Amino acid sequence: MNGTEDTRFPRWRAASLLRNRAFLTVLIVALVWIVAAFAKPGFGSYGHLRYLLELAAVIGLVAIGQTYVVIAGGIDLSVGAIVTVSAVGVPLVALSGDSSGAFAVIAILAAATGIGLLNGLGVAYLRIHPMIMTLAMATFLQGVLILIAGGTAISAQNPLLAWLGNARIIGIPAGVILWTIVSAAALAVLHATPFGARLFALGANPLASALSGVNVQRTTMAVYAVSGLTAGLAGVLVLGMNGQGYVGIGDPYLLASIAAVVLGGTSILGGSGSYAGTIPGAILLVTITALITVVNASAGWRSILFGSLILLLLLLSGRESQRR
Amino acid sequence: MTLQPIIAARGVSRSFFGNPVLQDVSIALLPGRIHALLGENGAGKSTLINLLSGALAPDGGEIAIDGKVLRKLTPSEARRAGIAVVQQELSLTSELSIAENIGLGAFPRRFGLVDYATLARKARAVCALVGLDENLSTPVGDLPLGRRQMVEIAKALFREPRVLVLDEPTSSLSAHEADTLTKLLHRLRQAGTAILYISHRLNEVMRLCDYVTVLKDGKVTADRSLQGVDAAGLVRLMVGRDPGDLFPKWTPGKDCPTIVSVAGFSCGLLRDIDLDIRRGEILGIGGLVGQGQEDLLLGLYGALPASARQAAFNGTQSLPASVSKANALGLAYVPADRKREGLHLIHSIAWNMMLPHFGHASPLRLRDRAGERELARQLADRLSIKGDLTRQVQALSGGNQQKVALAKWMPSDPPILLLNDPTRGVDVETKREIYVLLRRFAAEGKAIVLSSSDTPELVHLCDRVAVMREGGIARMIEHRELSEEAIVAAAMGAEPARSAA
Repeated sequence: MNGTEDTRFPRWRAASLLRNRAFLTVLIVALVWIVAAFAKPGFGSYGHLRYLLELAAVIGLVAIGQTYVVIAGGIDLSVGAIVTVSAVGVPLVALSGDSSGAFAVIAILAAATGIGLLNGLGVAYLRIHPMIMTLAMATFLQGVLILIAGGTAISAQNPLLAWLGNARIIGIPAGVILWTIVSAAALAVLHATPFGARLFALGANPLASALSGVNVQRTTMAVYAVSGLTAGLAGVLVLGMNGQGYVGIGDPYLLASIAAVVLGGTSILGGSGSYAGTIPGAILLVTITALITVVNASAGWRSILFGSLILLLLLLSGRESQRR
Repeated sequence: MTLQPIIAARGVSRSFFGNPVLQDVSIALLPGRIHALLGENGAGKSTLINLLSGALAPDGGEIAIDGKVLRKLTPSEARRAGIAVVQQELSLTSELSIAENIGLGAFPRRFGLVDYATLARKARAVCALVGLDENLSTPVGDLPLGRRQMVEIAKALFREPRVLVLDEPTSSLSAHEADTLTKLLHRLRQAGTAILYISHRLNEVMRLCDYVTVLKDGKVTADRSLQGVDAAGLVRLMVGRDPGDLFPKWTPGKDCPTIVSVAGFSCGLLRDIDLDIRRGEILGIGGLVGQGQEDLLLGLYGALPASARQAAFNGTQSLPASVSKANALGLAYVPADRKREGLHLIHSIAWNMMLPHFGHASPLRLRDRAGERELARQLADRLSIKGDLTRQVQALSGGNQQKVALAKWMPSDPPILLLNDPTRGVDVETKREIYVLLRRFAAEGKAIVLSSSDTPELVHLCDRVAVMREGGIARMIEHRELSEEAIVAAAMGAEPARSAA
């Protein structure tokens, strides 16, 4: 019986790791860290690596939703704006009776999810192209934020956020712990539930999915809602780490989230990939940024490097599209 | 006859992936003659046209233009020799105007720019020929289908062809437009143009054409003048092959209660159809391509908006409003285009088999991986799909892909199976396996609706066949009256003496 099992479902082999994009990205990150640690003393110190992880946590959270959306065959260009909404919004909804600050956080996360749901509504039912829908949403939100917050930074007096941004549990920042827990849940949903399987179905062939009984519209709505939620969560974390929110605080996370997804081996065409690759992808991004700061190069180089990296990886996945 | 053919194919053959589509076919198009090309779906008509227009190269045989044998005919050489093809699928750009579409690819130029004045003048001349009186700057997308077909013909005439190939030109034309086309073709014949006319409407062919070539399974079965031939004779030439032992023995279903019943059903092309589907039988859906067969299946499946005066589906009294609802009512659908509609090519075989389950399972319950593997293995064994089930589906042959597309519905054991051309592009061995499987399903009491473009399949496998024409059921043929002749005759509207049901 074991024989048939092996021919039907071949045993896992170590060699297959080398074709696993997520694993390769982990290797690259490790390599960069080791080389940098030898080249620049202090880069490899625990404190510095911990700091890098803390920065990566924000990108990583935004990229959860982005990974889901991209696997399901879409793209979410509104995540940066949602991060800002959340970072600026929490201080605004602070209530006197809410001493722990939990109410404000929950209200803002609900709002972020609602924004994502609206994106999904537009994409699923009005059949607006995801790029246009989410870009329009981002632009709209940006306008609302300017009207409400103006150009000033708003400080948060929120105990929960202060804890989230600064606390260490056995030496590990609370933000990194939050990221770890949410990542585990995200991976489980993606790879171990029917909902996760539907995302892969949708991204690979929406028509065949619909004819196989997958509710394409509802799944699309859900996936953009998840993206709104994780972007909102990232905004909360940014606010906790920063202490104050301002318009534009979320802008860097849009491109970073897409870069992390693509670096992690998720096909930009949808249908294949994993959040397991996005995690090292996010860490790689902050590592490159840190390296450039350490060698005292201009911030211009960072943008040039990011841009080239994304183009290179998209070229690779463009080659993939010819094989389909 | 001393006339020299403008273009002639001599003994050409062509195969696709080892399947011979044309074998030793000869055809000669003479100036001033309307030549009909007849044959069933898949007889090789389109391939022959593609050979004549240079779109495909023959594997064997030769093509001669004006008596000169060409080593290799390219599309541009064919165009230069004056061969114009009016395709069945319209090749117009809907955003461009009528005049631009007509001139596209052959724009008159002045100083390197498009000379719109000349274009308009020449376009107006050909439009007058085909009776297009619309404003020439109207975007083609705004025209009804029949008018677009006329634009397509005008586009071919714009190039002043010596050979005009018309692939089912009248399928979307009104009676008046068809009449204009007839007059036009008579005029072209007078002017010495060679015309190759492909149509499934036999009456039209009998009225219009002088000469006929009939293809059957890629071979010429007749090449003669149309004088003294009747419609029934032509039908006989197009059908009738040896089914061999491809099909399992047919046994009548014992007790066949109705499981689906619709009255006044409309969907897409379909208008006001009455249909009963019974347990324990295979109901065939026949007819020429695109007469509403797919709309019927998709409408019943809840994938297209449909309406019905009365409907009974497996106990409920309404049409399923969505695919999920249809699945819940026990319907399953296997599409014709399995690569586009049926399968997720980049995912594994086992994953594809599980998809319907993923579609209706509660979204956040943990998947049972071991159970999935066990189920996939059983399904693969049952349908004899060999080898590693973690391979991507795109690695499989067409026949095995079709088995996966069928297998994924088995776990939920649906009592009603809607199959859209399940044996298209499938090798003979797999065909046989699928036929056996379908008969077994019927014996188990499932209801099977089988739409097929393969007439022998309908005759030898089905209990009843509904032949569709122009969005309606032209005739319901019971098993004892089933024959290829009966199906083809009903599909083409050449009704035999016994009257239609």
